[in-house]
Amino acid sequence: MSINQLIFRNLKKNLKNYYLYVFALTFSVALYFSFVTLQYDPSMDEATGSIRGAAAVRAASILLVAIVAIFLFYANNLFIKRRSQEIGLFQLIGMTKNRIFSILSIENLMIYFGSLLLGTLLGFSISKLVTMTLFKIMEVDDVATLSFSFPAFLQTILVFAAIYAVIMLMNYWFIKRQSILSLFQVKSKTEGRVKNISVLEILMGILGIGLIATGYYVSSKLFEGDFTSMNTLFMVMIFILASVIIGTYFFYKGSVRFVANLIRKNKSGYLNINEVLSLSSIMFRMKSNAMLLTIITTISALAIGLLSLSYISYYSAEKTAEASTPADFTVVTEEAADELGQIFSENGIEYSEERIEVVIAEADITNIVGANLQEISLNDGITDIAFISEKAADMDIQETETLLTGYNDALQQLMSLEDSGDIVIHTANEKLEQQYIGLAEEDLLPIYFTGGFPTAVVDEKTFDIISNDIDEDIQRDSSLYIGLQLEEGENRAEADELFQNLAISEEYGNDSQYATERTQKQNMGLVMFIVGFLGLAFLITSGCVLYFKQMEESEEEQPNYTILRKLGYTRHDLLKGIQGKQVFNFGIPLLIGLLHSYFAVQSGWFFFGTELWTPMLLVMGVYTGLYSIFGLLSVLYYKKVIRESL
Amino acid sequence: MNILEAQKIHKSYGNKFTKQEVLKGIDLSIEKGEFVTIMGASGSGKTTLLNVLSTIDRVSHGTIKIEGKELTAQKEKQLAEFRKHHLGFIFQEYNLLNTLTVKENILLPLSISKVSKKAANEKFQAAAAELGIEDIEHKYPNEISGGQKQRTSAARAFIHEPSIIFADEPTGALDSKSASDLLDKMSSLNAKRQATIVMVSHDPVAASYSSRVVFIKDGSIYTQLNKGDQTRQTFLKDIIKTQGVLGGVHYEH
Repeated sequence: MSINQLIFRNLKKNLKNYYLYVFALTFSVALYFSFVTLQYDPSMDEATGSIRGAAAVRAASILLVAIVAIFLFYANNLFIKRRSQEIGLFQLIGMTKNRIFSILSIENLMIYFGSLLLGTLLGFSISKLVTMTLFKIMEVDDVATLSFSFPAFLQTILVFAAIYAVIMLMNYWFIKRQSILSLFQVKSKTEGRVKNISVLEILMGILGIGLIATGYYVSSKLFEGDFTSMNTLFMVMIFILASVIIGTYFFYKGSVRFVANLIRKNKSGYLNINEVLSLSSIMFRMKSNAMLLTIITTISALAIGLLSLSYISYYSAEKTAEASTPADFTVVTEEAADELGQIFSENGIEYSEERIEVVIAEADITNIVGANLQEISLNDGITDIAFISEKAADMDIQETETLLTGYNDALQQLMSLEDSGDIVIHTANEKLEQQYIGLAEEDLLPIYFTGGFPTAVVDEKTFDIISNDIDEDIQRDSSLYIGLQLEEGENRAEADELFQNLAISEEYGNDSQYATERTQKQNMGLVMFIVGFLGLAFLITSGCVLYFKQMEESEEEQPNYTILRKLGYTRHDLLKGIQGKQVFNFGIPLLIGLLHSYFAVQSGWFFFGTELWTPMLLVMGVYTGLYSIFGLLSVLYYKKVIRESL
Repeated sequence: MNILEAQKIHKSYGNKFTKQEVLKGIDLSIEKGEFVTIMGASGSGKTTLLNVLSTIDRVSHGTIKIEGKELTAQKEKQLAEFRKHHLGFIFQEYNLLNTLTVKENILLPLSISKVSKKAANEKFQAAAAELGIEDIEHKYPNEISGGQKQRTSAARAFIHEPSIIFADEPTGALDSKSASDLLDKMSSLNAKRQATIVMVSHDPVAASYSSRVVFIKDGSIYTQLNKGDQTRQTFLKDIIKTQGVLGGVHYEH
């Protein structure tokens, strides 16, 4: 058989084995290519309206290459180990190391560049879809065109060729370094000796669970006001990160074994088939995979967490916009209101107008703030509050009472306002003792007046007292809020355009809800898009890594299946055990990743938006679904191995 | 009473053009409580015969009955069910699961047939005592010696009191001391528990522990030797003599 035939046959055999590798590579290339195309796309700049968009995409593409490169190195490392026996055999029959290296290189070259071309083609065909998705998320009304970008193609080829060169170098080093004998032993060496559990491992196991729990606990306390300055807050965050990551590592290194061992001890040797296949096998492999699993878990958690946060922000864009500008349009001067109203009338846009008199006064809120005052930089407990009268708010308030309105999650987390208490209003010359009667949800004033703090609603008489005795220094330029609410929602875009064309749109205090919402959606949409695609790339590559691990494991365990089938277990029995095992193998990293991201999101989500559960669960659900596909694929592979075991 | 009856079993591999006949019509019956050794040179078909008898492999034609039950036409699932309850195995390469302790390995066959935990424990104690492996019950296979591994394997084969135990070169990987140790235990279990054992071996010493030796040559039964009342030593001499006749390549002049 000539060398060419040898290469060709190897290629055919390997293609069948490594279809997932080819898939992952093709997919990564496609993703990278469409990303780079986006970067070179002239319509991109117009759409995102700034250099920022292109820069973000470029940064993301670099990260993407990093993820893909690490995956390819790892996969290559696994594959060359699998083939070490073959390499040893070639040497045994007298082939030189250089010859073997060139065979491997040519073989890899074909698989690799085949996938590369396939990926570029796929990337070209999906690049329009990718751009459309981005435009859709950012709510940009632009039509993406399908055009082949030559610089993008060149960049893709160059980057992946560089990765290929590094892979070949690694292979070369591997072949050079190994003797024939060690090549034959590479496979058996990785199995690791089975030992009884040691005290150190038990300690590590308990420590792992303890560290994770501590991290979670501290993270839930992070913004509850137990940590004061920015510095301590930062230190605490580092502590949480370190504690959770080290805890995760110990968890895989010891806890899983420790817990499994407890269950096993309890059975006193009498294991059923599911336990034989799952418990004992997981116990002995988890330890050697600890590092890999920790990395996968941490990055999964990071991806899910970031995706959840950006989605929360995107999802809450509307509500956030409403909180900062309660009406469709906010203006703070009579002239601006007249000008805008005139333009609207000329264009046949119907609207209603609302005017509210606002005064700003200091108030002592020490008694109603649950948190420690120093932490929120409110040293004496006195803060500026925007006051309006009960009439403007369309409420009925007693003379001695004050109601706060404009609930906000972040604020509530930081200050934890109580349900009732005393509040003292400081006018310029006197102090009014008032009874605080609660916090209402509705936002009445724009952020221009409130500065993000709730608005105080007081009795007509109280309002008169305050407004007759004001401290000029703390008043805004205007003390009149005019809100223009459109009669028909579909006119918002048109009205916004008219507003943006006026000079008054540049003045501070005048604002459009529509524009605020759109800006938020565009910013968060871009972030979400990038994090989403990176997350997807990571998901697929890490899923593949776990799948390869399982592929290797199933082959190592094949003799066990033979024994079990001889003992009288059916294929069905074995498959059921394997399914249980895969639930753990894929489920543990997933579950821990989800938990990590849940606690991370939980600790600070209120800075990003107003809705936690729907966006977070959606992100987690999609991630879990995609991730499970790899678990299913591995079960199918096991099915094949079990079938061939007798 | 015959516990196993095989009639005219044929086994061939390959397709129509590359057909290779390994078993060429073997008739064999084994009585309850017998300890039978199948001997033959390598390539004679003895391992194939054992695989076929133990339902791991299927015959091309012929019938096999164990305890009066016809096995050749059964579905794979039924065969697995049958192995579960009626057969025990000891192999040359020990075939222990490396991820399980000695005790867990031994209790495996009981956990398939859903014996209660307490009964399982009692059976384990009894079998472990008979084979002398009580003090290693919590060790893993890579922490014990070859002889101990093979005794563990034997304990696993005996624990669920199967109708027949099949042993494929059980002493093949053992030193002579461990081998004779194991064979002693096996023949005492054979006597005490009335366990039927079918063993494949090419070692005359191992064969001399059994009550009957069946010689196979080129896929057919060549001859049989019964121990009868002879001592093990004289039986061994007989076996070696027969093996000598059997083993050589005959040149016809």
